[in-house]
Amino acid sequence: MSTAVAPPAPERPMPTPTRESQPHWDGLREGRFLLQHCSACGKVRHYPRPVCPHCFSMESEFKEAPTGGAIHTWTICHHPFNFFFKAEVPYVVALVDMDAGVRVNAPLRGVSEADIKIGQRVKLAFEPVNKEVTLPFFVAE
Amino acid sequence: MVHPLREKAAVSGIGETAYTRGTHKSALALQLEASLAAIADAGLSPRDIDGVVPYFPGGGIAEDFIANLGLPDLKLSLFVPMGGATCVAAIQSAAMAVASGVCNNVLIAVGRTGYSGARVSTRLQQFPQFALAAEFEAPIGIFAPAQLYAPGARRHMELYGTTERHFAEVAVVTRQHAILNGNVVMNKPLTVEEHHASRMISDPFRLFDCSLESDGGAAIVVSRSDRARDLKKPLITIMGVAEGHPESPASIAQRPDLLEFGLAKSAPRAYEMAGVGPKDIDVAEIYDCFTFTVINQLELLGFCKKGEGGPFIMDGRIALGGELPINTHGGLLSQGHVVGLNHVIELTRQLRREAGKAQVKDAEVGLVTGYGDMGDGSIAILRRAA
Repeated sequence: MSTAVAPPAPERPMPTPTRESQPHWDGLREGRFLLQHCSACGKVRHYPRPVCPHCFSMESEFKEAPTGGAIHTWTICHHPFNFFFKAEVPYVVALVDMDAGVRVNAPLRGVSEADIKIGQRVKLAFEPVNKEVTLPFFVAE
Repeated sequence: MVHPLREKAAVSGIGETAYTRGTHKSALALQLEASLAAIADAGLSPRDIDGVVPYFPGGGIAEDFIANLGLPDLKLSLFVPMGGATCVAAIQSAAMAVASGVCNNVLIAVGRTGYSGARVSTRLQQFPQFALAAEFEAPIGIFAPAQLYAPGARRHMELYGTTERHFAEVAVVTRQHAILNGNVVMNKPLTVEEHHASRMISDPFRLFDCSLESDGGAAIVVSRSDRARDLKKPLITIMGVAEGHPESPASIAQRPDLLEFGLAKSAPRAYEMAGVGPKDIDVAEIYDCFTFTVINQLELLGFCKKGEGGPFIMDGRIALGGELPINTHGGLLSQGHVVGLNHVIELTRQLRREAGKAQVKDAEVGLVTGYGDMGDGSIAILRRAA
């Protein structure tokens, strides 16, 4: 006789921070948008990596950056390629030109699909998904 | 100065399995079955193969080829980790190997159980190139290629007025061509209305904008041109070949221009090496992981200006009998997904005049592209040598 056991709820794919990216994820957890800046030439880079591609310095620091930006483009995900997202579809993901000079890809919430436009102003918000990890999302500015 | 690689290497053999949805064979078995067919097509013995470039991950590695084909003295084992751009970029590596004298006959082979084995979102986790997407994009719900490439398609629509009617044209024409082939997964006609009614996957991509998950194997042999001349098939030389890598190669999100990728660098180099331009191309096999990807590549290949790819493909221009017939075998959209090695095989058939009902009359020069790994772009220009 077999006993029916409910399968575990599907889990969200989680980031595995690297030694380079850990400060960025720590910032999100604290509700702060921290970006890597070159200590030598000052230029910002994202996603975090060991060497500045402009001046080749390996020294860098994470600084808090402004959370506003403008939509570069977007997609609306209808097919869940992962079981976790079955409960989420359809969801909008916006790619945003941040005022800080990098792009961020994150869900856009509270804006109707028909109203999304290139150049539309949005701002980054923070959603804790567990004790360790906070993920970004966008809302209208 | 003539480029030192121009026409020094040739596609001497081509082979493929049946393209299906469902198989009991392993990816390795499919890859070896296609390899044996390609070697026989070239008029060679497996013992003549002294270089291998297996598509990775999936299928076998050099050790499997030595063990199964009894290769007596393998001199070169390479991976070309460029996703969908791998197979055509591997032609460059193979051409270098045979032109320099390191090898005589290099085998490029793909085996894939995309339908009966692991699906795309699982397979990608094996790619080191997808580490950034896994860290920053998978958690917010973006990971599959349809989701990664859809934002570029949306931007093209917003900036240039490209429409889903344009996308449908690629799908419908590709299907028309597939029906002529005989070895395809999708063999029933597709209408524009059926395309528009298909379910949305990742807006603006609908189901029929996406390539197939299928099972199959494909292989080619690249040989020195002066040796291939003595083999049994017409000599198809590699006039030009190049690979290109975009800015921000592992993250589309951070790329300054989403619509400008590796092919923008490799296409001009391949044309220069070949000594030909877009006007000289009789037939083109364009990597079609998505319908829009074809439109975008035709722009980067110089067949039309940036932003004009949508109108360019209309009115029969890319169909058989048109000015630039493309994907005359049915492509990844309708024939099967063997990472575009089927595109190389079809171009070779066209130039040999072995393309049956899909034959482009008097085809002399053609090109084939590879696209993948979030924007790597490869291109080969082949010629039927006199």
